[in-house]
Amino acid sequence: MSPTAITGVGAYAPRFRITAEAFEEAWGQFQASGVNEKAVPAADEDSLTMAYEAAAKALETADLAPGSVDWLAFASSRPPLEEEELTARLGAMVGLPETTTGYSFTGSTRAGTRALWAGMDALESDAETALVVAADAPRGAPDEDVDHAAGAGAAAFVLESDGPAAIVDRGTYAAPYPGSRFRETGSDETQGLDVTGYDRQAFTETIRGAVDELEVDAEPDAAAIQAPDGKLPYRAASAAGVGTDAIQACATVHDLGDLGAASVPVSLATALADGHDSILAVSHGSGAGADAIVLESAGEVSVESALEGGDSLSYAEYLRQRGVVTSGPPSGGGAYVSVPSWRRSLPQRYRLEAGRCVECDALSFPPSGACDDCGALAEYEPVPLTGEGTVEAVTTISQGGAPPEFADQQARSGDYAAAIVALESPDGETVSAPAMGTDAEPAAFAVGDRVETTIRRIYTQEGVTRYGFKVRQQTD
Amino acid sequence: MRDAYLVGAGQSAFGAFPEKSYRSLFRTAFEAAVESVPDGLEPGDVDEAFVGTLGVGGRQLGLSGPAVTEHVGLGGVPCTRVENACAASGFAVRQAVQAVKSGMADVVLAGGFEVMSDLSSDAAKYWLGVSGETEWERLSGTTFAGVYAQMASVHMEQYGTTGEQLSRVAVKNHANGAKNPHAQLGFECSLEDAQSAPVVADPLNLYHCCPTSDGAACALIVSEDVVGEYTDEPIRVAGVGAGSDSVGLFQRDSYTGVPASERAAESAYEMAEIEPEDLDFAEVHDCFAIAELLAYEDLGFCERGEAGQLIESGATEPTGKLPVNTSGGLKSKGHPIGATGAGQVVEAFKQLSGTAGPRQLENPTRGLTHNVGGSGGAAVVHVFEREGAEVDA
Repeated sequence: MSPTAITGVGAYAPRFRITAEAFEEAWGQFQASGVNEKAVPAADEDSLTMAYEAAAKALETADLAPGSVDWLAFASSRPPLEEEELTARLGAMVGLPETTTGYSFTGSTRAGTRALWAGMDALESDAETALVVAADAPRGAPDEDVDHAAGAGAAAFVLESDGPAAIVDRGTYAAPYPGSRFRETGSDETQGLDVTGYDRQAFTETIRGAVDELEVDAEPDAAAIQAPDGKLPYRAASAAGVGTDAIQACATVHDLGDLGAASVPVSLATALADGHDSILAVSHGSGAGADAIVLESAGEVSVESALEGGDSLSYAEYLRQRGVVTSGPPSGGGAYVSVPSWRRSLPQRYRLEAGRCVECDALSFPPSGACDDCGALAEYEPVPLTGEGTVEAVTTISQGGAPPEFADQQARSGDYAAAIVALESPDGETVSAPAMGTDAEPAAFAVGDRVETTIRRIYTQEGVTRYGFKVRQQTD
Repeated sequence: MRDAYLVGAGQSAFGAFPEKSYRSLFRTAFEAAVESVPDGLEPGDVDEAFVGTLGVGGRQLGLSGPAVTEHVGLGGVPCTRVENACAASGFAVRQAVQAVKSGMADVVLAGGFEVMSDLSSDAAKYWLGVSGETEWERLSGTTFAGVYAQMASVHMEQYGTTGEQLSRVAVKNHANGAKNPHAQLGFECSLEDAQSAPVVADPLNLYHCCPTSDGAACALIVSEDVVGEYTDEPIRVAGVGAGSDSVGLFQRDSYTGVPASERAAESAYEMAEIEPEDLDFAEVHDCFAIAELLAYEDLGFCERGEAGQLIESGATEPTGKLPVNTSGGLKSKGHPIGATGAGQVVEAFKQLSGTAGPRQLENPTRGLTHNVGGSGGAAVVHVFEREGAEVDA
């Protein structure tokens, strides 16, 4: 096998956290052993927006021009749509060329390593630079183990043929074990039959099988093992041929919960961020199967992580954020922007493409119609803004006051800030754009504050979710 | 160009009238307008009609103009619907003045109507919100209250305007509206009430926002050639001005003023050959408390940034130097979108013809109306002057 190297890594988890105690208070017990607290996606997040967060970080830290990526994979057991090739949207969000080969991997918590596997195959074939992104937020019935453990997170890897962290070996194994973890077609809730011994056997047999396939004799400092809860990976230690210390070294399940298809990828990102030289990564997915990957690192890999927690949720707030106890969008309709109109604005919604008036050199946003400055009906030269800016005007839209198309989001996440922001060009010029605040209480946004853009769910109409930029407090 | 005169104006009550149709509300306003003409006017005299409406809750999107003029017996009369959001009927009045001045018509009906209260609150929010810039501004999650709140946030930051000053707008306009039998919220409110109401869009609370309303209003504009047939005390349309701007706030040069209002006022003052100091009263577009304060500055009642002090000084109370919104304004009288601009002209007519009842100002000779569409995408200003004003003044 010709080596594949990881040359840049991004990792992301939502800011919301809920503790095991909050679950115990609500249920009298917490069914996810070994999980102390877990990450919860905000109402405007899903696996695609988390994938964007991680992918943007990976590209930035690898110092890679998006134009050079020729292969893209998106892996999630919970893509926001069951049918649609989402790599087209993800690619556009991070600015990849339309000619990038895109693959989606889903249907299992093993999807993340399947994507890495396919990325290695692609590099062995004719791809030069692959971007592999795994993002997930499992979900089950509120009284099921799956939902108690369910966390949220994403990791993205830039793969090239040469670099400090080489993937030196890989193995895979599958055997039929139906019923351990599955989601019926059309259902929103993952379930399991909860046959303890059977599930455990499926887990250890496949992991052992994949590791046995390895040719190198791995003695890893860190082992990123699939973590449906905080105990199971340790039970598979001997099957994987590693000590529990190695698993502990890069475990994320205790603080972030079950990350589904992103479980092994986020742990792998953590191991690389912590500078471990020898890493074993073993996924498991129901069905059942496992992939084992061995990494040997000869130097530091550039990793940009945003896994730290922010606001703590009560169990009631958790149910609200996840839309479990809200009734969905109201009838009566909202502002209607047709999907074709929305699509025309994607360069602005995703990549902040302003326009420079060829007559007077001033910037306009969005770049259409007469120039905001000189009024000329001239052409615009595209100028992508930096994503940084300053709040010029802001209000808080109080509960019940949101336009109907935002009523569901407001019911879930409460008051929000609506601002006008002076966004900056690479040359330091500014142009104003309206933007919703995210990732902080609305009171955190004041006139004069520094903000940065990210991409989130704006709203859903006719079944089509519109994604676009919002602003949050600058993290630097 | 010929002069145009306001010879009559009337309105329905503004409020929530689920039992009334938009046509019946318009009929009430039309009959009141015809009745107010001192020497009488026959519906058959009307040559042309301009009617403002946003969309009657989405029910009558096309031909809603002829739908109401036909209902009041003006079938056959050319009728054009004018849509400029909340400034729809202010612009209908302007169209009427243009038709008269151009010589194409001698007697023109300008009116407006809206029905907003028989919708679910979600549907009402939908209708209200689509008069802003939809693709960017609205989809950043703003409402109308939100956009005006953004302006307020900057005005407060830049000029030190306070929440109390915003609340004083509500206190004044409610005190005025309490004397107006047509007002929707015709009750007084204390400064404490107006400061402690629930927040709608920070810094604006419920008392800083006008209600949604049903209602209709009509004005009759005639030419100098026929005005003598209708009145011995003519009220001249001395000045007309209008302006437009980016529909979205974020694309404007200023967040602390409404440039379209400034342009409209400048033109109207120039045509009327007056200064703001020459006005005896004004009806301004106070859809939100901050909008009235911005209007003080845009219309030249005070310097930029000083509107807070102006309201605090009492200058715009009925007893002050320049009474503003003696009708109660949009805040207390109500804001049936398409009827609002014509409704302001009704108050100007009543004040200038001495028929304003308990809120009658002492012998006013010149008044201004100021009507804004959306958050400032369009604005129209009229100056009305009792003939012989210079002599009287």
